[in-house]
Amino acid sequence: MSEVPQPLDDSSLRIQELAYGLKVRDVMTTKIFAVTRTCTMRDVQVIMKNNGISGVPVVDDSHVVGIISMNDIMNAFVDGYMDDAVSLHMISDVQTLSDDVPLTFAMSAFSKFSFRRFPVVNQKNALVGIITPRNINLALIRELSRQLDEMEETGEQTKSTGENKVFHRIYRLTRYDFEHAGRASAELKKQLKARGVPPKIIRRAAIASYELEINIVAHSHGGTFTVLIDNERVRITANDFGPGIPDVDSAMTEGYSTANDWIRSQGFGAGMGLPNVKRVSDEFEIQSGLEMGTMVKAIVYLTDSNGECGQNN
Amino acid sequence: MNLKQIVETLEAVPLHAPEGWEALEIEDVFASDLISDILVSEGDNQLLLTSLTSLQVVRTAALVGAVAIVLVHRRQTPPGMVSAAKDQDTPLFRSTLPKYEACVKLGRMQEAGA
Repeated sequence: MSEVPQPLDDSSLRIQELAYGLKVRDVMTTKIFAVTRTCTMRDVQVIMKNNGISGVPVVDDSHVVGIISMNDIMNAFVDGYMDDAVSLHMISDVQTLSDDVPLTFAMSAFSKFSFRRFPVVNQKNALVGIITPRNINLALIRELSRQLDEMEETGEQTKSTGENKVFHRIYRLTRYDFEHAGRASAELKKQLKARGVPPKIIRRAAIASYELEINIVAHSHGGTFTVLIDNERVRITANDFGPGIPDVDSAMTEGYSTANDWIRSQGFGAGMGLPNVKRVSDEFEIQSGLEMGTMVKAIVYLTDSNGECGQNN
Repeated sequence: MNLKQIVETLEAVPLHAPEGWEALEIEDVFASDLISDILVSEGDNQLLLTSLTSLQVVRTAALVGAVAIVLVHRRQTPPGMVSAAKDQDTPLFRSTLPKYEACVKLGRMQEAGA
């Protein structure tokens, strides 16, 4: 049994939503115990024992070059090489995580690889933390209770003022399920119409929403789709569990598509999806990690004077 | 031009024809087989002409506010598409004319100022 909340577990939609708002750096342990190549296996064993940890990264000028786990120490003990340098026995092909990726990427990574911890690196590839399933669980519990408090507060506000209607819904999307894709967008359109939002703005929000919905169904292993509408804006977040986009710049280029023939036969795969979303959005953000997933956030302002739909010509 | 004139010109058969469809005024026609293009098409009281038989066409048409869909160059229609049209109450017709011919006919009609 895994200790990590599984991204595809049916009951965890709400948990996933919490995890999208958090980044690895918000959750990781920053108190790191690391060794250099020349330290011995025994040094590592002492560090583990004194600090109650089960994995120690090996660094060279703050870059991660290897990792020693409890298992490696046990092997060293049994085979009698406790005084060897760690560089001789470390696992040197270390999978690290970036500190600025969504927490869901880390959750995907834990369910895909059998590792019990990942060293976390910053943009300069320097070691800045360690993340374990325990970090994730604690952070989710903390975030859950914080949001509950918040919901109680806003709930009371809504009661007293009768305004501030917030529409917040999370949808699950399955790979190749073209039958259900598009429903969230239809619902979004209905909601905006009921609020009297100008048609041109509704169009832009619907385009962003629909393209992102289709993207999850056509290109990912499945994921979730969240719509949040308040008085000022529509926020659409599309999160999937992989496979991730190898080259985000290409994916953002008009006409670039990795769609297969079947998807194309359905009328998709023109390579306009993400570029369309970006064009109609007031704010746009994309993050993708290979084997971990992709997160796209699109925001459309409801009170924007610029209602142009941005036809491509 | 109204939808009835268009349907007659294209010799189209009704798949979902809600009451009052004949009188629907069509100002624009958009012909495409690419969902992304349909999605960003702009036009008032627009008719969508397509040979795509996916039910996503019907959803996309609703999102962009197309008032009716004519499926061209098709002898068959998947049942999913018809039920989607019924759910959304979007008029849906089918013509066996190839897309180019259908466009030419509608173009002539528009020129004649019908």
